[in-house]
Amino acid sequence: MVRAGGPGAAVQDAQRQGPTGGSVSPLFAGYRAPDGPRGGAFDEMFHRDGTVRAPYRALHDAIAPTAAADLAARSQALDRAHLDQGGSFSLPDQERPFPLDVVPRVISAGEWGRLREGIVQRVVALEAFLADVYGAAQIVRDGVLPRRLITGCAHFHRAAAGLTPPNGVRIHVAGFDLVRDEAGAFRVLGDNLRNPTGVSCVMENRRTMARVFPDLFTRQRVRAVGDYSTHLLRALRAAAPSNEADPAVVVLTPGVSDPAYPEHCLLARQMGVALVEGRDLFCRDNVVHLRTARGEQRIDVIYRRVDDELLDPLQFDPDSVLGVAGVLNAARAGNVVIANAVGNGVGDDELVRTYVPEMIDYYLGEAPLLPDVATFRCWLGPERDHVLSALDELVLKPVGGSGGQGVVFGPDASARELARARRAVNDDPWGWIAQPVVHLSTVPTRVDDRLVPRHVDLRPFAVNDGDGVFVLPGGLTRALPRGSVVGDTGPGGGSKDTWVLAGRGAGSEPEPTTSRQQQQRHVLGVLPEVS
Amino acid sequence: MGWRIRVVHETGYRYGSPVHESYNEARLTPRSDCRQNVVVSRVETTPPTRSYRYADYWGTTVTAFDLHAPHTELAVTATSVVETGDAMPPVRTATWDDLEGDAVRDRYAETLEFTDYVSRDRGLARAARALRKGNDPADAVLAACRWVREKLAYQTGTTGVHTRAVEAWDARTGVCQDFAHLTLLLVREMGVPARYVSGYLLPRADTEVRQTVRGQSHAWIEAWTGGWWGHDPTNDIPIGHRHVRVAVGRDYADVPPLKGLYVGGTAAALDVTVDMTRLA
Repeated sequence: MVRAGGPGAAVQDAQRQGPTGGSVSPLFAGYRAPDGPRGGAFDEMFHRDGTVRAPYRALHDAIAPTAAADLAARSQALDRAHLDQGGSFSLPDQERPFPLDVVPRVISAGEWGRLREGIVQRVVALEAFLADVYGAAQIVRDGVLPRRLITGCAHFHRAAAGLTPPNGVRIHVAGFDLVRDEAGAFRVLGDNLRNPTGVSCVMENRRTMARVFPDLFTRQRVRAVGDYSTHLLRALRAAAPSNEADPAVVVLTPGVSDPAYPEHCLLARQMGVALVEGRDLFCRDNVVHLRTARGEQRIDVIYRRVDDELLDPLQFDPDSVLGVAGVLNAARAGNVVIANAVGNGVGDDELVRTYVPEMIDYYLGEAPLLPDVATFRCWLGPERDHVLSALDELVLKPVGGSGGQGVVFGPDASARELARARRAVNDDPWGWIAQPVVHLSTVPTRVDDRLVPRHVDLRPFAVNDGDGVFVLPGGLTRALPRGSVVGDTGPGGGSKDTWVLAGRGAGSEPEPTTSRQQQQRHVLGVLPEVS
Repeated sequence: MGWRIRVVHETGYRYGSPVHESYNEARLTPRSDCRQNVVVSRVETTPPTRSYRYADYWGTTVTAFDLHAPHTELAVTATSVVETGDAMPPVRTATWDDLEGDAVRDRYAETLEFTDYVSRDRGLARAARALRKGNDPADAVLAACRWVREKLAYQTGTTGVHTRAVEAWDARTGVCQDFAHLTLLLVREMGVPARYVSGYLLPRADTEVRQTVRGQSHAWIEAWTGGWWGHDPTNDIPIGHRHVRVAVGRDYADVPPLKGLYVGGTAAALDVTVDMTRLA
């Protein structure tokens, strides 16, 4: 459990001084005052002594002189521009508009470099895990991961067993939910290896910011995010099963009623591929075809934004009208690639994913570069002992619980509640996990004519083309409403443009640039003779 | 010495109006194991199709096929010749302590879990406790099989393929599928890993060589008590030379002999016939 703003205020810190020391901009007046973060949250713009952190200096200097009235006006301009661009306003898991805040979130080149390496390592390990778990399941045989966590997972799809993608990639696109803890370290709170949403929001936020505040971007180099679809298309084409120079790719959407439909449209448009629904496709003899006005077209790769359980009525829900009957067997026969692969949900399951550090060690022989929010698993003796001894500092969650039901928030619990929780853990060790209370980091965020600290999380996106993992610089930053708990973004939240600063000097962008396309396709070479 | 049995299993559908699209999977192919040897096995359809075979998660051979030419009838014929083995005694190497240990519970978690078909019931849990008392694990499994055979009346037509174990129990009637599901419920409740087996049973023990008998699809259970072994709760007999094993899973949902989807008119299931000939 991660709580944004915990109890136990450090109010003396609040009134001590304006964050910029001597010359306090009116925008930041009382930045740490009453509705500011209590507890030990890490503020991303200001050090504890009120000085500005290095990555934010240019941004702070640009914003600080702004008059209060100006801030509101700019913010309104931002809202208008965002609306003008139309369409993809919604964010993951919600359909209501999600305002874009005027203050971007900044990540330095060094921080990003470390973060990117950690994400790449995580994707590589999870790929190895999925290949294993739908194959020989060696990690289970070796006793690293309890078998029951796999077989008991609702997203472990037996229909995907033995289904091996041609280039080995199952996680074509991954999203991660990260938070920054009290020390400023990024930690992983959640993984999404199935159908992560929100990348269109990242691109649109940047477009809007660049339009309304072009001057902000002149002070420093900010890494671009607009080429995401290029990377996605490259990964999808690289996944194609056929020996085909120009594989046919489609985006499969559940349709206009899906909250993420605008994103599906945007990605299809940017990639220049067809946006289709289940009824537009059909399988014949394990080959997938698209019905077009000019007849049938063979399809090689389906970037599907339809859930596993609805994807193939022959294998899953027979009543689903969003999927394509027989598509799983077409993939099994090697005639089409489904991206992301069916059954990836076993890798982001709330219990299985607590073993990612073990996976990184088991498959890669490495130590995790990007830490998780610690999760204590009560079925493991030493971790259970820790939970029982430190229950008043931890958040105890029932396995499989949703909506916070049955959660015991240690710091707030009475002695009797703690005793009852201890008994429950001892009675059913497999039924409980526990996490420390983490105070999310804060970034200045506009409320009326002031900037106040708001808790933020980060959802970066990774694309795996089989040769390398591309991580889109930045990701989606969500600013959470005051006092909220992650995963429960109530009203009042917003998003922020996320800036990854370009490093100093040339060639400081260590992205894997994998060019698989040969440029001289039209010139036929003669192979050297071999005796 | 076991028998050599030919099984011809015909099944199909008739449609009210021509069907242009149909997607199907058949699980009708027996597999060779330590108890039986599959000499030959094929699945054919009318109209003819280009079928695709694969082994599913449970190791069952699946024959997938689709039809795109208009048709009003679909027939699927599975023909197999299988050499069966004699009955084997229950395995008795695991104690209750072994079964309660974390290693076994983790290794066989899948066959200990309850499912839609095999869901928990308080009354049946009590019955399972009583059946377990004083028995070693293998005898407890046999007691459960006997109990189900005593309590449930074999009656066709009262239950369907979607009937859950507790529903058959409430009605006190069922067919082999219900006998198997109810037994699984009791056995898993005792903490013994157990799985569902689909196959065929040559109905008469006195069948002569060269004689053809009208048989039927059958279902029984296998339990793990140090090793897997089967028992037929519908008849309360061990799995012997009259049983042909086809597929195994957690319950019926993992092993449906034929499942399919089609676009168009209404479908009526044709009569299913299973002809079994003792060849040797």
